[in-house]
Order: sequence, then structure tokens, then C-alpha cells
Amino acid sequence: MISLRSVLWLCARYELVLAVRSRWLQMFAVVFAGLALAVASAGYILSGGHGVQDFSRTAVSLVQVVLLLVPLASLVFGGLALTPDRGAAELLYSQPVPRGAILIGRMLGVWLALAAAELIGFGIAGLVVQSQAGLDGLSRYGALVITAVVITGVFLAIAALLASLNPGRRTRVLAAALVVWFVTVVLFDVAVLGIASMLRSGSASRLLISATLINPVDAARTGALLAIEGTAAFGAASLALLRFTGGAAMAAAYVGLSLAAWMVLPLWLAARTLSRADI
Amino acid sequence: MIRYRAFTKAYGGRRAVDGLTLEVPAGSVVALLGPNGSGKTTSIKAAAGLVRPDSGEVVLGAEHLNALDARARRACSFLPQRVSFPETLTGREVVDFYRRIRHVPGDATDRVLKFASLNGAGERAVGTYSGGMVQRLGLAVATLGTTDVLLLDEPTAALDPEGLGAFYRLVDARRQAGGTVFFSSHQLGDIERLADRVAVIVAGRLVAEFTGRQLAARLADRGVMRVRVDAPTAGLLERVRALCPEAAWRGDELIVPGPASMRPGVLDLVREAGGDIRGLTAEEGRLDAFYRELIGAPS
Ligand SMILES: Nc1ncnc2c1ncn2[C@@H]1O[C@H](COP(=O)(O)OP(=O)(O)OP(=O)(O)O)[C@@H](O)[C@H]1O
Ligand SMILES: [Mg+2]
Repeated sequence: MISLRSVLWLCARYELVLAVRSRWLQMFAVVFAGLALAVASAGYILSGGHGVQDFSRTAVSLVQVVLLLVPLASLVFGGLALTPDRGAAELLYSQPVPRGAILIGRMLGVWLALAAAELIGFGIAGLVVQSQAGLDGLSRYGALVITAVVITGVFLAIAALLASLNPGRRTRVLAAALVVWFVTVVLFDVAVLGIASMLRSGSASRLLISATLINPVDAARTGALLAIEGTAAFGAASLALLRFTGGAAMAAAYVGLSLAAWMVLPLWLAARTLSRADI
Repeated sequence: MIRYRAFTKAYGGRRAVDGLTLEVPAGSVVALLGPNGSGKTTSIKAAAGLVRPDSGEVVLGAEHLNALDARARRACSFLPQRVSFPETLTGREVVDFYRRIRHVPGDATDRVLKFASLNGAGERAVGTYSGGMVQRLGLAVATLGTTDVLLLDEPTAALDPEGLGAFYRLVDARRQAGGTVFFSSHQLGDIERLADRVAVIVAGRLVAEFTGRQLAARLADRGVMRVRVDAPTAGLLERVRALCPEAAWRGDELIVPGPASMRPGVLDLVREAGGDIRGLTAEEGRLDAFYRELIGAPS
């Protein structure tokens, strides 16, 4: 019998090869590089200069774009990659290894591939920034890249869950992926703000802060801004957050816990669903 | 062995398979025959652990494991009806992946690629394969291990004569090694050549079980003989109709439907009447008519 670790690694490598050959990945790397470079130079031009801004400013300006695009890319790319068509799924899931291990292994492979694309894309942009503006704030830029990689993992886990709920049905997985993206990235914040506006200020701020930790996109944003800008990140709001969580370290722990939960729970549910599904 | 006990599966309220009870003994080859949508794939997938029974059960292997048991996966190997692989992998990469998953030694890759006559194309991407080559690759993967039970869903669809020959030899070898082979097919040739027994399933129900020989005989009885005759004498048809009431002329061809056993008698009558036999064909009965007959529907 093959060990579980070997199954995970075997499936991860299989998926990594597929991802590298799919050309999507090269496209992602180019998009990330282009995006980072555009943001780096745009901010500077707006303030009347030319060239590019340094790592710190680039990182701050990139947070919103990354948290908009990376979840979308991960959901779509992951959803497609992790939903084999029927003839492939039947062969794959009739093998003498747990279906969940196959799914999680492949998800890890897609994660490795997307993380590589992000590292390469942001890395290329980083080289340009460094040559123009020096190394100042490199660690902040690094925090942004780490945020991108982590949020990729979260949304790939969700993509794996969607794939396990609709085995062999790519269109449905894709539709569900778009719904999840819209809800987490757009609707959630709007809804929370709407509800908060109807509450008294004490409960409203508690709701807003909890919401920041519950939604993975908001949690990642909180984590990234805390790492990049420190405790002054969002003025009065950050003070409230720190008071609520009991300090920066605790806030970081909550963020980490939320993101880890958003990765582990969907994967666990996906493995469970798949093991009971008709293929 | 494989044993279905009252296996039932419905999709959206419609029963795809309804109370299937069937045994495939160890060391035997059993074919599953039936029209499109009759539940062959559903039944085979249940043995592969891919379909959960609504009721009843499927057990297989020397240890009689429930098909849903994880350990049963090690006892069987399944070829899906429309097998597919990622287009950017080469045939060899595909086989190697499944070989590792099944924990089979490294030399098996070359062996099965050779068996599937893919030794040349093994290094090419699957996306460049023809339909028959994909099917051969599927067979190569399904025969990687030396599992007790082989489940093959229409394994010969898309195979050319050479592929068929290789496949027949493989099944013979499995049978001799005491393995169990359960396959579905629409090809009478496969069934006559391979199957020890044939199970016929129509609309989700098992309607008959035959030995391969019995099936061939039953179908031959429903065949048609066509005899091209020059210079027939008047009154030949009347005499033939004494043997075969449905006999008829179509141009210079005498059409004689019915059991093979009466055909020599008909030919004797033609010769006695001074007819000159210029050509003769006989075809087996058509399966669709046979299915209708088995379920007692009017043809
Ligand atoms: N996943 C599914 N969802 C809904 N209905 C299904 C599903 N799989 C099979 N069916 C239905 O179950 C019935 C039996 O299908 P099955 O694939 O077992 O037939 P089959 O005998 O293999 O046919 P064929 O000769 O065409 O391969 C059909 O009516 C089919 O429409
Ligand atoms: Mg079928």
C-alpha cells in the first residue's frame, strides 16, 4: 500500500506538471508582474513625478487589487483543475487510495503552481522597483506576496470543496466559484456595512470587527495592512480592532486562525463529501 | 468473484438498476449485455465502488469485501466506458502515475505500454491520440496490477482488430490465472469469443442468463438465410414454405428467416427443384429483437 504522504506528493506533482503545461500559469505570472509594475509606477505619476514608488507604497497600493484578483484566479483556476471530467474522475477515484487524498494532493499542486506564478510575477516587478527605488520597505512588499500566497491557498481549498460537491460538472463548479467570489469579495462587506448602519454604535463596531476576522478576504486584508503599515494602519478602526482583540499579537493570531480555518475546514468537508459521492 | 444481491440504484426517481442479483464466480468471464441505458454502466460502477446502492449490495474479491469498502479497491481494477486523461500528459506519464498510485513495480509501465501497442506513442501527449489509442491507454492502465477482479465497461469499443486480438489474449490469461473478468459489450463477437456466461439486462432488470454457446444458438435461430437462385422452378416457394412459412422471394433472392437447423433442408429443396445456387449469406438474429423477445414485448 502506498502511504498517504506519497499519494499527496504524487498527486501534487501530477497537478503541478499539468498546471505548468497549461499556459494559464505563465499568463498569471505575467499578469501579476504587469499589475505590480503598473501600480508601482501609477502612484508615482499621480503624485507628479516619474519612475516608480518604493516597496512600501507599492505594497499598500497592491493590497486591494491582490485581494480582488487572487481569490478570483484561485477559484476559477482551482475549480477547473480540480474538477476532472467524468471519464477521468471515474478512473482516478476507483484507485486504491482515499479520494480525499487525491483531491487534497492535487489542490496542493495547484497551490504550488499558483504560488510560483505569484512569486515570479511579483519578483520580476520587485527587481524593477529595487533598481529604481532601492530596497527600502522590501519586507513590506514581502508581506504582500505572502498574503497573496496564503489567500490563494484559502480560495483553492474552497474551490476543492466546490469541485467535490459537483463531481465532473465544470460549468456548475465555475458558476459556484463566481458566486463565492462575489459574496466574499463584494457582497459581504456591503451587507455588513448595511447591517451595522442600523445598529447602535457599540454593537456596530463589534460587528464590523468580527466581520473583519470572519471573512477570509477581510482577514487577509487586516493581516496584510497590519504587517505593512503597523498598528497605525487604519487609524481609529485599528485602535478599535486592537482593543477588541487585545493587542497586535492577538489580532495577528486571530487573523492567522481565521485563515487557517478557512483552509482546513473546506478541505475537510471536501474530502468528506467526495468520499460519499457517486462519481 | 463478484456478487450482486438485489442491487438497486435510482437517479431522480427513475430506477437505473432494479434488484440485480448476479454472481460472477472467481476464474470466470461474464459479459453484461443490454440495450443503451439499460443499467450496465451503473452496475459495473457499483462494483468499482463509484456508485452507492440505494438498496442491496455488491461484494467482490476473494475476501468478499463490500464494494464500498476501501480495501475492495485493491482487489479490483476498473476501465470506465469513456475513459479520459489530461491532454498534456504523455501516455507514459499517465501509466506511470497510475502505476505509482497502485504501488506496482516500475517495469510494469513498459509491459502494459507494449501490450497496448503504444510503445511508439507512449512519449506523445494524449491530446494527439486517436479515440482507439485513448481506449488502448485505458486498457493499459486497467491492467497494470494483477488484481483479482477486472471490471471493463465496453472495453472493445473503438478497438481495431489488432487491439481486439491483444485484448482477447489478455482476458484469456486472466481467466487462466484464476481472475474474474466482468465486462459489458454490444459486440456479439466479444461475447462469443470471451464470455463463459452472459447476463442480459433490460431496463435495469436482469432478464436472462446464458452460456456463451446458448446465446449464439438462440441468436442463430433468429437469423436469416438469403439464397441467390438462378432458374428456379415454379412451385419452389410453396415447398420451402412447408418448412419455413415466412420464406419469400426478393428479386432472385430467396429469404429464409428462422432457425439455422432448417437451412440444410431448404437448400436441398432448392437443388431438387433444379435451382442453381449462386450465392448464400446467413446472418445472426438482431439483438434489439432479441431483447424485446426476452422482456415479452411485441416486436
Ligand atoms: N449520473 C446519472 N445521473 C442521472 N441519470 C443517470 C446517471 N447515470 C446513469 N443514469 C441513467 O441510468 C440509466 C442507466 O444508465 P447506464 O449508463 O447504466 O446504461 P448503460 O446500460 O451503460 O447504457 P450504454 O449502453 O448506453 O452505455 C439511464 O437511463 C441513464 O440515463
Ligand atoms: Mg454504459
